[in-house]
Amino acid sequence: MPHPPRNPSPPRLRRSLQALLGLLALSCFSVQAQQASSPAPVGHGSYIGVHAQQDSMQTADHSKFKILQGPFKDGDGPAVTKACLTCHTEAAKQVMATQHWQWRVPQKGLESYGKATDLVNNFCISIRGGNTATCARCHAGYGFQDKTFDFSNPDNVDCLVCHDTTGDYEKEAAGWPNPAVPLADIAQKVGRPTLKNCGACHFFGGGADATKHGDLDDTILNAPRTEDVHMSKQGAGMTCVDCHVSSAHQVGGPDYVIPANKREQPKYPGESISRMSCTACHTDHPHKSYILNRHYQKVACQTCHIPEFARDKRGTNLWWDWSTAGKLKNGRPYTVEGKDGFETYNSMHGDMIWARDVVPTYVWYDGNMKFTRLTDTITPPKDPNGSIMLNPVEGSYTDPNAKIWPFKFHEGKQPYDTVLNKLIAPYTAGPAGSGAFWGDWKWDPAIKQGMETAGLPYSGHYGFVRTTMIWPITHMVAPKEQALSCTACHTQKGRLAKVPGFYLLGRDRGTGLDFIGIGVILLTLVGVAVHGILRFIHGRH
Amino acid sequence: MRRVILYEKFERFWHWMQALLIITLMITGFEVRGLIHLHLLGFATAVTVHNYSALALVVLIVFAIFWHFTTGEWRQYVPTRKFLRDMVGFYLTGIFKGAPHPVKKHRMAKLNPLQRLAYLGFKVLIIPVQVTTGALYFFYPNLSRMGWPPSSLWVIAVLHVIGAFALVAFLVGHLYLTTTGHTPLTNLKAMLTGYEDMPDDEYMDEEN
Repeated sequence: MPHPPRNPSPPRLRRSLQALLGLLALSCFSVQAQQASSPAPVGHGSYIGVHAQQDSMQTADHSKFKILQGPFKDGDGPAVTKACLTCHTEAAKQVMATQHWQWRVPQKGLESYGKATDLVNNFCISIRGGNTATCARCHAGYGFQDKTFDFSNPDNVDCLVCHDTTGDYEKEAAGWPNPAVPLADIAQKVGRPTLKNCGACHFFGGGADATKHGDLDDTILNAPRTEDVHMSKQGAGMTCVDCHVSSAHQVGGPDYVIPANKREQPKYPGESISRMSCTACHTDHPHKSYILNRHYQKVACQTCHIPEFARDKRGTNLWWDWSTAGKLKNGRPYTVEGKDGFETYNSMHGDMIWARDVVPTYVWYDGNMKFTRLTDTITPPKDPNGSIMLNPVEGSYTDPNAKIWPFKFHEGKQPYDTVLNKLIAPYTAGPAGSGAFWGDWKWDPAIKQGMETAGLPYSGHYGFVRTTMIWPITHMVAPKEQALSCTACHTQKGRLAKVPGFYLLGRDRGTGLDFIGIGVILLTLVGVAVHGILRFIHGRH
Repeated sequence: MRRVILYEKFERFWHWMQALLIITLMITGFEVRGLIHLHLLGFATAVTVHNYSALALVVLIVFAIFWHFTTGEWRQYVPTRKFLRDMVGFYLTGIFKGAPHPVKKHRMAKLNPLQRLAYLGFKVLIIPVQVTTGALYFFYPNLSRMGWPPSSLWVIAVLHVIGAFALVAFLVGHLYLTTTGHTPLTNLKAMLTGYEDMPDDEYMDEEN
């Protein structure tokens, strides 16, 4: 993979002075100032040229393969896959080992995590209550209708969703291609995944554009530099896979847990490694200032460099109240639009709050995040405004791996079993008469049927509980001139006002100490003033 | 009247440089602390200026220590109880009645017992506390990595701030007391030119 150029910056007087201070004042401690004297990267160039070069180096022109000429029957994705596999014999096997196919995370001891598991979120809650077909619009396969889906059939792998370069490809329920999609044309023009391929699903987390993540939405496709310095064409012009590097179709990604302090280094020259951390390209001391570089010990890059998320026209969802869903007008579902153009009510989802330019919430995070499942017993808070944290993060100041990270806080209300104290997978997506909530607008049958499909017990009694989730913010990195200034945090009511466990210059000042200090100075002033006046009155000098 | 040299060239340079640096440290320090909403330099610049001034002050102090020991001037600061009571009495009552200064100056004893105590305290207490806590503050990330607990930064910061307030109070008193010389500007002039014109009875000759 071509590397953007790195130039060593000239040694700076400042650094030598700092080193001198180190020697003078702290010769007895092990000074880590040498860190600052290694070369810092300058300029990372544009990836647009890199991508053009990569494209020009392709050894195969897929339009010349007879097998891709088709014609393919309308919507017959598996036929295309079969054709792909005649040359790429191992590709399906590789894809089938990944989360994009399995919708679970078999590695890293997270067997029970993934969309296809009992995991619950604040948005569409769970696919398990019979919603698989609707949700599988975003499955990298064909025909994921329900739990009878054959995860071992290579023909069901969807190659085109990731490799379409025309932008014409589109998926429908259960992941089938839209029958109008020109399969042969797309198959002849396959290539490296672009922003659009990944975005087709990842911009739409939570069911619609910008809903879930806040730092990923389709405005990134045409982002100005100010919105995303990496992915903007006026910026670095990078695509997702420039950082989320793949190895045998395994796309580098967080797997539900974002390492808070990861520094990728190849184990051997040429190893294909994920560049999912800032430091992989920028090093852990990218600033000219020694003091700024030292912030990396406790502050994630994202904290200063993503001043707000949802920075373009899309609002991200901050509140989703299922308890008010299902109201009808004249027997029909309806929506209400707020002043800012965002939907404040939808019979399908209930009350909602959306916002743009959201200031993140800052939390100590060491990379460990726990998730709540349908099978976990919850403790509904007694306080009506209390909330259950569905994905608590770990970390504190004293944890050497933890850093202050920016998060999107999301709250909502969702149904739970008031007797068993467990969250619920309702059957939401289905036609009228099916018992689905969006068909018949009744919770009880929707829950009963959903839990039956999921194969989980239901007491027959439900209520609504407030739940909170937090989502790490790591995309929409702003250009450096938009980074937070010192006093965004180093002030009394700054962004870190509530981040506990440490002394922060400018924030933590005992007002008592200042009171005494100023008092002593004032008393001294009064003392000398009185003395001076007495001297004057007595006529001496 | 006689014209006497009290402060050598280096001594004056040291004094005024130290004054400049301490005042800079004071202003930038209070800006960084957010004590008064100054916004003179901006936080980042204030931090940088504070750190470089601190470094410069440390270098200056190293030279000053060398000078004190090679010239023997350190003896000026040895505390004494001789005339101490008289000095206190002078500032409390005598000065208002026009009483003569109880201590005669000498080239090798130019400081009165109160000055000796004040400047010695300044040199061995306030300055070392500020330099030490300042260095610990600057290198706290390294200390933290070595296992110093988070609360230690709080202690360092509080000590540094107490030292800073003490310095300001010292400065106020110091500035006022410079006016208690023969005329209100005598001492200031001496510190600028190095020389002081003294009536004969205010100077102690070598022979006495």
